[in-house]
Amino acid sequence: MDFEPKIIVFCCNWCSYAAADLAGINRMQYPHNVWIIRLMCSGMVHPEFIMDALSQGADGVMVLGCHLGECHYRDGNYRALDRSDMVVELLEDFGYEQERFHLAWISSQEADKFVEVVSGMVNRIKKLGPAGG
Amino acid sequence: MGVTAAMEWLGSCSGCEIAFLNIGEDLVPLITETLDLVHAPLLMDHKYFGQCGEGVTLEIPDAVIGIVTGGVNNREHLTVLRQMRKKCRLLIALGTCATHGGIPALMNGQDQQASWQAIFKTVSTDPGAEIPEVEVPPPLDRVYACDEKVKIDMQLPGCPPNPELIAELLVAIVEGRSPVLPGKSVCDTCPARREGRSVVGKVKRFIENVEFDPGEPVSGMRCLLEQGFMCMGPVTAGGCNGGEGVPACISARVPCRGCFGPVRKNGNQLLDMMNGLASNGIDFKSVVDRRSILRFSGAHGRLRPLKKRVAKE
Amino acid sequence: MGRVLNIAPVSRIEGHAKIAIHLDDDGNVAETFLHVQSLRGFEKFIEGRPAEEVPRIVNRICGICPWMHHLASNKAVDGAFGVTPTPVGYKLREMCQVMAHISDKILHFFFLAAPDFVLGPDADYSVRNVMGLVKAAPELARQVVRMRQLGQKMLEGFAGRAIHPVAGVVGGFAKPMIEEERKELLCGARELLDFSRYALDFAITDVFAKYMDAFSDLGGIKTGFLGMVDREDGSLRLYDGKLRLMKHDASFVDFEGDDYTEYLAEHVVPWGYSKMVYAKSWDEGFDMTLTAPRGIYRANTLARINVCDKISTPGAQAALEEFRSLFGRPAQQTLLYHYARLIELIYSCERTIEILEWPEITGSDVRAKVVPKAGRGVGLVEAPRGTLIHDYTTDENGCITSANMIVGTTHNIAPMNMSVKRAASALIKNGVYSEGILNQVEMAVRAYDP
Repeated sequence: MDFEPKIIVFCCNWCSYAAADLAGINRMQYPHNVWIIRLMCSGMVHPEFIMDALSQGADGVMVLGCHLGECHYRDGNYRALDRSDMVVELLEDFGYEQERFHLAWISSQEADKFVEVVSGMVNRIKKLGPAGG
Repeated sequence: MGVTAAMEWLGSCSGCEIAFLNIGEDLVPLITETLDLVHAPLLMDHKYFGQCGEGVTLEIPDAVIGIVTGGVNNREHLTVLRQMRKKCRLLIALGTCATHGGIPALMNGQDQQASWQAIFKTVSTDPGAEIPEVEVPPPLDRVYACDEKVKIDMQLPGCPPNPELIAELLVAIVEGRSPVLPGKSVCDTCPARREGRSVVGKVKRFIENVEFDPGEPVSGMRCLLEQGFMCMGPVTAGGCNGGEGVPACISARVPCRGCFGPVRKNGNQLLDMMNGLASNGIDFKSVVDRRSILRFSGAHGRLRPLKKRVAKE
Repeated sequence: MGRVLNIAPVSRIEGHAKIAIHLDDDGNVAETFLHVQSLRGFEKFIEGRPAEEVPRIVNRICGICPWMHHLASNKAVDGAFGVTPTPVGYKLREMCQVMAHISDKILHFFFLAAPDFVLGPDADYSVRNVMGLVKAAPELARQVVRMRQLGQKMLEGFAGRAIHPVAGVVGGFAKPMIEEERKELLCGARELLDFSRYALDFAITDVFAKYMDAFSDLGGIKTGFLGMVDREDGSLRLYDGKLRLMKHDASFVDFEGDDYTEYLAEHVVPWGYSKMVYAKSWDEGFDMTLTAPRGIYRANTLARINVCDKISTPGAQAALEEFRSLFGRPAQQTLLYHYARLIELIYSCERTIEILEWPEITGSDVRAKVVPKAGRGVGLVEAPRGTLIHDYTTDENGCITSANMIVGTTHNIAPMNMSVKRAASALIKNGVYSEGILNQVEMAVRAYDP
């Protein structure tokens, strides 16, 4: 059977979640491998959330926030950016490929970009195989 | 007659058992009056297969309190642990190996099969040796903490655990009250002087001694992290000092390496330490061999073999 | 094929093992095995780690002799980095090591082995242990618990930890000793010396006098011996010295630890995880046959007492002289391990006092300058269980690239197997065996303090 990855996507309430919502309203197609978790801000994603997701069965984790400069809380996404460097670096320490994490900025109107980004992630993870393997 | 108790060691070094013996003068009433030991390989001769070794199934007697030390590394450990769970009403995981994997779980960070093969091919080993397979328990795929395999009722970490806390735990159980165990971090119990931010942007290796005046107590010494040494006090559960006094390693003027495991049961020492360093303006990339921050808590899937980088297209 | 008796776990020893006794159709011993059940892989998982961290990792190999691994490892890293510890650092390490021997010997003799002698090997298993000892000889038991605790507390008070120590560091020691600490330790060490003299007297009158003849043959085998001696005068050394490999006819060769691979090699059997070290330099191979063993030597207390020319401290030297006059050199009876252990106990106390009385011990220069670099170092100490060898190679960052260890107990795995076979064959005849008899087989193992 083909490998169907499980991707956890942390979306911020103000931009990327709205984009995902819009994609749904517009009946745009995107892979069913995506599990969305809504948070108020991408800056809320503690590195532990990401590692926990991977250690409990997720094959990839995405953090999607507002474009830089457009954060509802002024600089939450800058924090997410700072942290992502560390997360990428630490993934290997925990025995995961760096490709299992992805950070992107999506505004509330960019439904097409949301679809493009998550589809790209699903394809990459399909090639990579399961995280536990 | 005391409350029946059984002790077992799995993949352990027996340091926990020595810590138990280090309870000191209270040990005598503890093992002769408070507790009635029915099975404990270090101290007494109850056997798995009958006293004459004729049995075929591994048996441990019924006991109210069960104490297991060590992680679960092989099939025999698993059998013994399951038997202990079956026979003991209250099962305690004692020591960091049993609670978080401990040092032996460092093996989880690498390819076990390749490592074992290499061990039987060292410079001093006769050529042609193979990994032993006859009448020895085969290894599991990785090293597990006890609670990954059976339900554990109480945990007391530490490498080794503090003797006073072991005594407190056991006496509390017998008296039917909740034990008083520390819940703070090593830092919270450390008297070293903190002045604010670290003076350096990097952490250094422990190849020079820390700065202190030997005539002064630890409270006169500046925080080791602030002195620029990697000290895991912030992300490590306290208790090595028995709840009060100076943390053990700090009293030897040596930085903490996290032997009590994370402060919260499910904490991640590596992640928390890196987060802590970064938020204090210290370059987390200056830590040599970061993964060994998980040297005491590598079970629960925390340490895994390194993945090869996928070649960029 | 007859039946198999599985004595599992071997108890009142400090590790994981089981004895399997295979009986033939007539109920006589066909074959015996001492299976070592545990393998963890320290040699591999210290690879890549900064070498100065390794002494705090490998002490977890053994919770009973963590100081030995800690210090052998420190010595190996010293060697790899090309550092010579300062004189004060060297002495502080040695003092901790001999002090660790004190508690260990009290633990082994009184907590683990003595129940067989005080309560008798045939006593019921529910009383033949330290709890039974408390009931049978409460005064002795209380004294033993207190003395062992004193040794542990002295180490903990000075070095922060008694179990899994951290105070030994590459280049020396992590902290100097202050005058108050010195006085306190000296006071404790004198008390321990008094107790150690009492312990030997007790053992000679109450144990050896009673059991030596009855058990003179228990697990008896004829082998060579390996132990550490002083480079100059051949006296007993535990922390630092050259190695001496003695044949059963008392002829010997001396060599430096760095050259260990030329003299020793490890044999692997498919039925136990522990390797078996043997004397490669004898050029006779490895064979555990009772009548004609090849390459077999023993380590641990009896071996050290056999190979040394003398002991540098007075009380232990007097005990050694008496021992030699009774049993000759080398003494072969397995039960004499206990006797030798108590002589070493006296030496350890006397040596601790000697170091504490050294006027410069409170000096502040405890650690030499350390620069991590590429190299190889072999660190040796005499652990309670035998010669401990750590051999590390480092890269230019001072991280471990390869490691090889020969742990004290492994020297005695082959001799223990032979002693088990010897004891079982002598005791089990025509299918007649009992719990007491099987316990005597275990006693042969227990003497080695594995």
